[in-house]
Formats: sequence, C-alpha cells, structure tokens
Amino acid sequence: MSRANKGAVRPKLEQEGFFGRLSYFTSRALANLRQNVFVSAVTVGTIALALLIASLFLLVYVNLEGMAEGWSDKVQVTAYFDQEPAPLAVAAMKGRVQAIAGTAKVVFVSQAEAEKRLRSRLKGQESLLEGISPDVLPASLEIRLDRDHRDTDAVAAYVKKLKQIQGISEVQYGEEWVKRFNSFMNLFRLMGALLGSFLTITVLFIVSNTIKLTIYARKDELELLGLVGATRFFIKAPFLIEGILQGAAGAVISLLALLGCYFAFLKNAGDFLGINPASAGLSFLPATHLAGVVLGGVLLGFIGSATSLKRFINV
Amino acid sequence: MIQMHNVFMSYPPESSALADINLKIPKGDFVFLTGQSGAGKSTLLKLIYADLTPTRGQVLIDGVNLTRLSRSQVPLLRRSIGVVFQDYKLLPNRTVLENVAITLEVLGWGKRDIGKKVYHILKRMGIEDKINATPLRLSGGEQQRVALARALVNDPKILVADEPTGNLDDENKEAILSIFKEANNRGTTVVVATHDRRVIENSHRRVIRLDKGSIVHTPDFMVAGVTGSAGVCPLEEVPDVQG
Repeated sequence: MSRANKGAVRPKLEQEGFFGRLSYFTSRALANLRQNVFVSAVTVGTIALALLIASLFLLVYVNLEGMAEGWSDKVQVTAYFDQEPAPLAVAAMKGRVQAIAGTAKVVFVSQAEAEKRLRSRLKGQESLLEGISPDVLPASLEIRLDRDHRDTDAVAAYVKKLKQIQGISEVQYGEEWVKRFNSFMNLFRLMGALLGSFLTITVLFIVSNTIKLTIYARKDELELLGLVGATRFFIKAPFLIEGILQGAAGAVISLLALLGCYFAFLKNAGDFLGINPASAGLSFLPATHLAGVVLGGVLLGFIGSATSLKRFINV
Repeated sequence: MIQMHNVFMSYPPESSALADINLKIPKGDFVFLTGQSGAGKSTLLKLIYADLTPTRGQVLIDGVNLTRLSRSQVPLLRRSIGVVFQDYKLLPNRTVLENVAITLEVLGWGKRDIGKKVYHILKRMGIEDKINATPLRLSGGEQQRVALARALVNDPKILVADEPTGNLDDENKEAILSIFKEANNRGTTVVVATHDRRVIENSHRRVIRLDKGSIVHTPDFMVAGVTGSAGVCPLEEVPDVQG
C-alpha cells in the first residue's frame, strides 16, 4: 500500500513477537467465549457428545481386539523328533529353533513327560494305556510364536523353516484353526475400520455444521472486523483458538463421561453376568488412545472453525 | 482526495446501481450525498471503503486506485477510513468501550492506551457515562454516537456516514452534525449520505445528488453558501490513474 495508507499502522500488538500475539489472541478468544457463553456451550456439548460416541466405539473395539489377540496365544507349533535327543543335543536344537525369526518361547517335552501328560489327561481311564510302551509317544518341542508371526502365511513360512532342521520328523500347528482365526480377525478389523470410518464422517459432519452455525450467529462481528480494517489473520486467529479450546474441552468432557460409563458398565456387567470384571479383561483406553481423542477434539475444533470462517470473512 | 472516474456498478443479474459516475472530493472537504432511496448513495459509499469493487471504471483514494488493490491491501486502506453504518453495526454482546476499542485493537494499540483514547472520544460525544453499557441499553441517539466514536477514534483521513440522522430527533441530529463538522475542522474529509433535506439545507455544504445511479444537476438551494463546483468533475479534470 502506498500513498493512501501512509498513516495506516501494521497491527502491532501490546506485546510484540510470537508470544505477544499468541497471548493477545488467546485473551481475545477467552473474552469471546465469555461473551458468547450459550453458543460456546452448545459447541462444546456437541463435540463432547460426538467424541463420547466415538470413544465408546473405540473402547469396545480395543477390548474386543485385545480379547481376540488373546485367543491367538493358542497358536502353537509342535515339532516332533524321530528319536529323543540327548540332553546336550536338546539345548543345541532349542538354540537353532530360537534363531528362527518369530520364535517367542520353546519348551522341550521328553517322551516321559509326554506320557505323564497323557496319563493325567486320561485320569480314571489309565487302563487304556496298559501294555503301551512309553516310547510310542515322541519327544517334541512346543513353540510359541510372537504376535507378528501368527497369521496364516507367517506360520506356514515359519513351519517351512522349522522342517529344515535336521532331526525334526513332523510339525503340527492346527492349520485349519489358524486359518479360521485369522479370517475372523481380518473380518473383525474390516468391520471395525468401516464402522470407525462411518462414525468419524458422522462426527465430522455434526461438529463442522454446529461450528458453522455458531460462526454464522457471529457473522456480524466478522463483517465488522473486516470493515474496520482487520486483516484475515487478525479476524481468524481468535476464532481458531476458540475452536481449539472448545475442541479440547469437548474431548476432556467426553473422556470423563466415558470414564463414568466404563466404571458403571463394568460394575453392572459384573453383577449381571456374575463374573469378576477384572477377569473379564475389559480395560479402559490406553494413554495413547486418550491422547488421540484429545488431539481429535482439538483438530475437530480447529478444522471446523477454519472451514466455516472461510465462508464468512470478506477481506 | 476521493476520485471516481467513469464508475459503473451493477448487481447481479442485471441491476444497475451506478452509471458513469465522475467526481472529485478534495481533501478536507465536507460533502453531502443525496438522492431518493435506491439512488445509489450506499453503493457509492461502499466503493469508497472498498466493500464493493466497481463493475467498470476506477476509484482513487489519495491517488491509489482501489480497483488494483490486492486483498491484503484492503485492510490497510480501511484503517484510514472511518465508517458510520446505516444500521450502526454495534456488537450487542460487547460494551460501549469494547465496541469502540475494536478500531484501535485492529491497529495494535495496547489496552491502557485504548482505555484512555476511548474515554476521550466518548467524552467528546457526551456519552462517557455509558462506557460500560451494552448497546441494547442505549437510545438510538446514543447508539449513533457510539458508532461515530468507533469511526472517529483513530482520527481517520476520511469519514463516510450512511444516513447517520435517519432515526434521530432534531436535537440529536444537530448534535451528530456538529460532531461531523468538528471532525471536518480537524482535517478529516467527510462524506455523508442522507435524504434528509433539512439537514442539508442547514449545513451549507457541498452536495452531490444522485438519481437512479447517476449524478444529476445540484439545485441551488442545496449549495447555499458554498462556492465552487457541486462535486461533479468533468472527465478531463480527473488525473491519470495510478495504482
């Protein structure tokens, strides 16, 4: 701007610099919240409700996934030996198995141990084992896989490597069960992703429209600021900070409500089902997820305000 | 100086608001803009503070062509122009102090300086006792003074007012006009749009009369006591346009 604006002053706030501006815009945002209590409460309430629904879904999903992951502990590979190896050879064999990627735990089961287990399983019917030599049951290695190696293809690849070890005659791992379990998990994750996506879109829609309405209610203020010479940034900054504060407040309220629902649900479910809630394994959202919900609220408030402001600022 | 050069303004789809406007308002002048409702007075004022861009032609403020201003330059221009809107545009949930302070906050003034400056301007307007009231608790005349205070608080180069005496009684009209005159005496160029004949007659200032979007001949009674042109500037007198 040249001649016409020689007298015009660039916005130079009471406190200069980034923190000075941040402090000014934050105090303006807080004043706006105070001056528009009802509208702000509606926005915070909507964000809190929307995030509560999303967090409830997340809580259920996380617990169900945790339970399903627990079932995958049953994925176990058993490697049978032709002949029972000597104790020193057992240690060497265990070492070679441990060296295969994906091995979590290896337990050697001798022929004697195998017979002992069989006997305990047939308690009361031991006569069935009369005349059978203990040598009939082969020695074996029972191998647990870590979580990343429990899907169908990873188990098959693991077994292939295991079979290459000399001395192992046969490997069993409940191929059908692993396949069915992994199909179930894939379906579960797909459903979770679909439901989660729909829920996210719904939450975005509701929150952005609420913010749009609240900003529409203040369009005169936006118009006036533009007419007295405020820059786009000067007009937008307090509204964006308001959006962030409202989003964060909404998220915190939703988490507090979720905490209440969680304890109420656990207590009631325990009484109703006659189970110990602790043993049912239901847990609250982990810290990372809690931080995610708060961040989600902040982003919702910020993006909702930013997109709505675009329409009403005429500078 | 405010200049308009072959300015046309039409609203979509095909409603013509202004047609071939040529005018020159020198620095420090006090001009009334008159005409019936729908004559184009408000549109002409909006062109001055860049709320509208002409469909054709050029608007210049102190030699700067507003049609060539970038979006980021518009706020800088508006800071040098005080505007009194027809509907006042006071924010109902803010106090008088906060309403007037907006103009200074935009300029980056500190809180303490804003308090002093706002108090002084409200005192000039005679409403310093209303500093903590909200606009809805004020009378029409008081609201108009708050709007005037907001427009004048940063000593603008130009003051434009759209029907500032529209809903006021005679006493308040006089008071508002004397504030305009005082601002003009301090060097501010004043442009007031009004269709109130008595206000114009009593003020003895230059008049630009609009009819159906065009400037028409100004009757003598409307320029009583004033010498010189009635604000209509022949095309050849408009200087070259510079951005």
